[in-house]
Amino acid sequence: MRRIIAGIAALALTATGAGCGSSGGGGTTTENGVDQVKVGVIPIVDVAPIYLGQQKGFFASRKIELTMESGQGGAAIVPGVVSGQFQFGFSNITSLLVAQTKNVPVKIVANGVASTGAAGKDFGGVAVRKDSPITKAADLAGKKIAVNTLKNIGDTTVRESVRKAGGDPSGISFVEMPFANMPAAVEQGQVDAAWVVEPSLSAITGAGGRVVAWNYVDAAPDLTVAAYFASTKLVGEKADLVKRFTEAINESLTYADAHPDEVRAVLGTYTKIDEKARAALTLPQWPAQINIASVGTLAELGVRDGIFDGATPDPAKILP
Amino acid sequence: MIWRLSGLAALVAVVELLPRLGVVSPDYLPPASGIAAALGREAATAPFWAAVGDTLVAWAAGLAVAIAAGVAAGLLIGSIPVLRAWTASTIEFLRPIPSVALIPLAVLLYGTGLGSSLLLIVYAAFWQVLVQVLSGVADVDPVADETARSFRLGPWARVRHVLWPTALPYVFTGIRLAAAVALVLAVTAELVIGSPGLGAVIAVAQSSGAVPVMYAMIVVTGILGVLINVGARLAERKVLAWHQSVRGEVAL
Repeated sequence: MRRIIAGIAALALTATGAGCGSSGGGGTTTENGVDQVKVGVIPIVDVAPIYLGQQKGFFASRKIELTMESGQGGAAIVPGVVSGQFQFGFSNITSLLVAQTKNVPVKIVANGVASTGAAGKDFGGVAVRKDSPITKAADLAGKKIAVNTLKNIGDTTVRESVRKAGGDPSGISFVEMPFANMPAAVEQGQVDAAWVVEPSLSAITGAGGRVVAWNYVDAAPDLTVAAYFASTKLVGEKADLVKRFTEAINESLTYADAHPDEVRAVLGTYTKIDEKARAALTLPQWPAQINIASVGTLAELGVRDGIFDGATPDPAKILP
Repeated sequence: MIWRLSGLAALVAVVELLPRLGVVSPDYLPPASGIAAALGREAATAPFWAAVGDTLVAWAAGLAVAIAAGVAAGLLIGSIPVLRAWTASTIEFLRPIPSVALIPLAVLLYGTGLGSSLLLIVYAAFWQVLVQVLSGVADVDPVADETARSFRLGPWARVRHVLWPTALPYVFTGIRLAAAVALVLAVTAELVIGSPGLGAVIAVAQSSGAVPVMYAMIVVTGILGVLINVGARLAERKVLAWHQSVRGEVAL
C-alpha cells in the first residue's frame, strides 16, 4: 500500500511540474503593428460575415490578422475567451446572459446575427414531419421537442412561441441533440418536433416537413440571436484593438447583408454545405446594430423559464 | 488474395444496394458510388490533403514520442527489479484510464491546437509500448544472462547483446498496437476538440448535412488505418528477419 501511494505521489509531482504551461491573454502584435487575433467560432451559417470580411480585407486594413478557431462546440468558446486562448468569441445572447449571472467577465463588442423577423422566412424554426398532427405552435404543448442545447436560447424561445399561441409550455419535454441529427430524428419519429436552424431546416422542409412555429420571430421583433464578445480584461487593456475589431465586424456585417450571393459562396469555404443547399437556404440578417430591447426580452424569458437557476441577469453589464 | 478481396467487394455491394433498395434512407447512408464520388471530389482539393497531412503529422509525432518514451522507460524499469516492483501498481492504475477522459485536461492545457492531440495520442500509445517492453525484458533467458555475466559483459553490453534482441519482437508488437491506437486517438481528438485534421472535417461535414462527404472522410481514416498496419508489419518483417517468429522455422 505504501508503495502505491509513493508511486502515485511521484507521478502527481511530475504531472504538476509539466502542467504549468499557460497561454497569454492579449494575442501577439508583430513588429509592424499587426495584431494576431484568434476568434472562437462555430462553423455555421451565422458566422459567414467574419469569413467574408477576412476575404475582403476588412480586418487586414485595420491591422488585424484573423485566425478562426472552430470546433469544440459553442460551450467552450466562453471559457476560451476568458482564459485568453481566444481574443474574441461568438456566442448566442442567452449563453452570454448565463455567463453574466455567474459573474464571468465578458462583454459584447459587436453584433453577431439576427432573426429576419419575418415568419415564414427565418433561418430557424420548429419543424415537424409531413404527416404530423401538429399544425400550429399551440399544438406543441406537452410534446417532445429536440433542441441543440438544453436550458438555452432554443427552449426558452420555443416556450414563448407556444405561450403566445395560447398553449401551455410547461409540459413540453426538450431533448438535446446536434442540429445535424434532427432531420433524421424528425423523420423517424424519435421526437415530435425539432427546433432547427439552417441548413438542417432546409433539409427537413425539403423532405416535405413543415415549420409550425417561428420561435425567433415570436420571441421579439428582429431578435438579436448572437454576438461577438471579448473578456472585460481585453476590453480594458486593449481598447484600440477592440475598437478596430468592432469596426471591421460592423463593416463585414453590413457587407454580408448587402451581398447574399457572396455569403453563399463563402459558406463553401468553411462548411461542407453543398452548392444546392447553399443556394436554397434562408440567410439570417446581419445588422451592425444590436437590438438592445430584444436582449432584455431574452433575459426576461430566461428568468421566466428558469434558465438562470434563479438568478436575474443584468444585460447592461454585458452590452457595450 | 482474390478470395480475401472479394469479402471487401461484397461489403461495397451491400452499401451500394441497401440505400438503392430503400432499406435505409439514402439521405443518411448514401450508396457506395455516391461516397466514392464525394471522395473523388474532395481528393481534388488542397484542404483535403492538408487535413490528411495534419492527421498524419499528429499521428507520427505522437507515436514517435510514445515509442521513444515507452522503450526507454520499459528498458529502465524492466531491468531494475526494485523499480519494477515500485511502479507496478502505478502503471496498473494509470494504464486503464481511457485517453479520451483526458480531453478536458488537454483543452485546458493546449486549447484546440496540435498539443491537445499529442497529449491524447502519447498517453494512449505510451502504455502499449511500455507494457510490451516490460514483458520483453522479463522474457530474457536467465542462462543467456548468466553466461553474459560470466563472460564479464558490462551492463551496457548485456543490454545490447542479450536484453535488446530478446525484447525487440515485443517492442515491435507494442509499436504495431501503438500505431493503431495513435490513429484512433488522432481522429478522436480532431472530432471532439476540433484540432485540424480529418476528424475536424468529419465534424464540419456532419454539421453541414454533407452526408456523402462525411462517409468519404470516414473511409479515408479506414484506409489510413490499413496502410499503417501494413507498414508496421512490413517493418517488423524487415527488422526481425532473423527471428524465428518471422523466419517461421522450428527452433532447436
